[in-house]
Amino acid sequence: MTIHRFVTGFLVILMAGFPLPAVAREVVGSIRTLQGPVFLLREGAERDVTRPERLLEGDVLRTGEGGSLGLLLKDNTSISMGPGSRLALEHFQFAPAQGRLGLVVRCFRGTMAFVSGLVAKLSPDSVKVETPVATVGVRGTSFLVKAEEK
Amino acid sequence: MNLQKTLHSGRAGKTWIPFVCASAFLFLGCAKPRTQVVLMPDADGGVGVVEVRNAQGRQALDRPRQSVQVVGADQAPGKPEILSDARIQADFGAAIAAQPKAPLHFILQFETGSTTLTAASRPLIGKILEAIQERSPLDVGVVGHTDTSGSDERNNLLARQRAETVAQLLVDAGADPAVLEIKSHGKAVLLVPTGDQVPEPRNRRVEVTVR
Repeated sequence: MTIHRFVTGFLVILMAGFPLPAVAREVVGSIRTLQGPVFLLREGAERDVTRPERLLEGDVLRTGEGGSLGLLLKDNTSISMGPGSRLALEHFQFAPAQGRLGLVVRCFRGTMAFVSGLVAKLSPDSVKVETPVATVGVRGTSFLVKAEEK
Repeated sequence: MNLQKTLHSGRAGKTWIPFVCASAFLFLGCAKPRTQVVLMPDADGGVGVVEVRNAQGRQALDRPRQSVQVVGADQAPGKPEILSDARIQADFGAAIAAQPKAPLHFILQFETGSTTLTAASRPLIGKILEAIQERSPLDVGVVGHTDTSGSDERNNLLARQRAETVAQLLVDAGADPAVLEIKSHGKAVLLVPTGDQVPEPRNRRVEVTVR
C-alpha cells in the first residue's frame, strides 16, 4: 500500500467517524409530478419518494422501471425524467438582485425533458447540463437529453 | 450449402479475422457511453438554441426537433439530423408526459410610492388563492420588482415591503404561509426593458408565481 493510499484511507475513516456538520442547503424547487418508483439520494442515504416534496441543492433523483418525475425549480426551470433515469441537481443559485445566478444539472443516465427558466434568460452562460460525454449549453429553450452509460 | 462452404473455407483461410474485428468494433462501439440531445419548440412556438460540446468539438442546434448524438467523450458531437415526432415520442414520451404544468403568474401593481394595491390589482388576491387551492404548491414566489429610477436601496426596500403586503393579504385570505417565499429582485428582472434611471410604472410590481 502506498503512502498516498494509506493517507486517503485514513482520511476516509476519519471522515466516516466524524461527519462534517450538515450545512443547511438551499431549497431549489419542488416535485410536481410523480409516478413511482422514485428515489432520492440526500446526505448519503437513498429513500423512496412517494409524494411531492421540496428539493435541495445536491439532491440526486432516480426513477425505477415505470417511474417518472417532474420538477419545477424556483426560477421556473422545468425538468422531467422518464423511467430508468438518474440526475443530480448539482448547483443552483437564483439571486438576481445580487447578480448570483447559476444552474448545473448532471444527467447520469435515462431520458429527460428540460424547459429553461429565468437563470437561462438572465445569465445563459451559467446554465449547463452535463452528461458523461458532453455538456449542453442553453440559450433559453426546450430540449431533450438521453444519456446511456453503455 | 454455400454458406457452410464459406464458413469452412473461412476457418481454413483465416478470413474470419476481419469478422472478429468488425464484431469487436461493434461491441466496443456499443459499450461507449453516449448522449443524444434534441431541441424542441418552446410553448410559445419559438425555437431557442442549445450547444452540445465536449473536448473534441461542438455542435449548435437551432431548428425544431434537430438532434445530435455524442458517442464517447473521445468523439466530437456527430452530424445533426431532424427527428420525426414518432421517434421523439418513442424515446422521450415518458419524460415529456411527466413535464409539470407551466407555473401560473400574477402581476400586481401599486399606487405610486406606496404599498397600497391599485383597484385593478385587488381582485387578483382571490384569483391567486384559487390557483393555490387548485395546485397545492410547495413553492409560491412573492417577488417585489422595481423600475430603474431612484436609488437601489430605497427601491429594494419598497419592493420587499410590497411583497410582504401581498403575502400578508394571501395569508389573511387563507394561504399557508409556509409555502410563500417573499423576495425582492430589485431592478434585475424588468417587465418592460428600459435603460438605467427610467421611471416605468409597469416595472414597479409584485409577481406571484404559483408552481
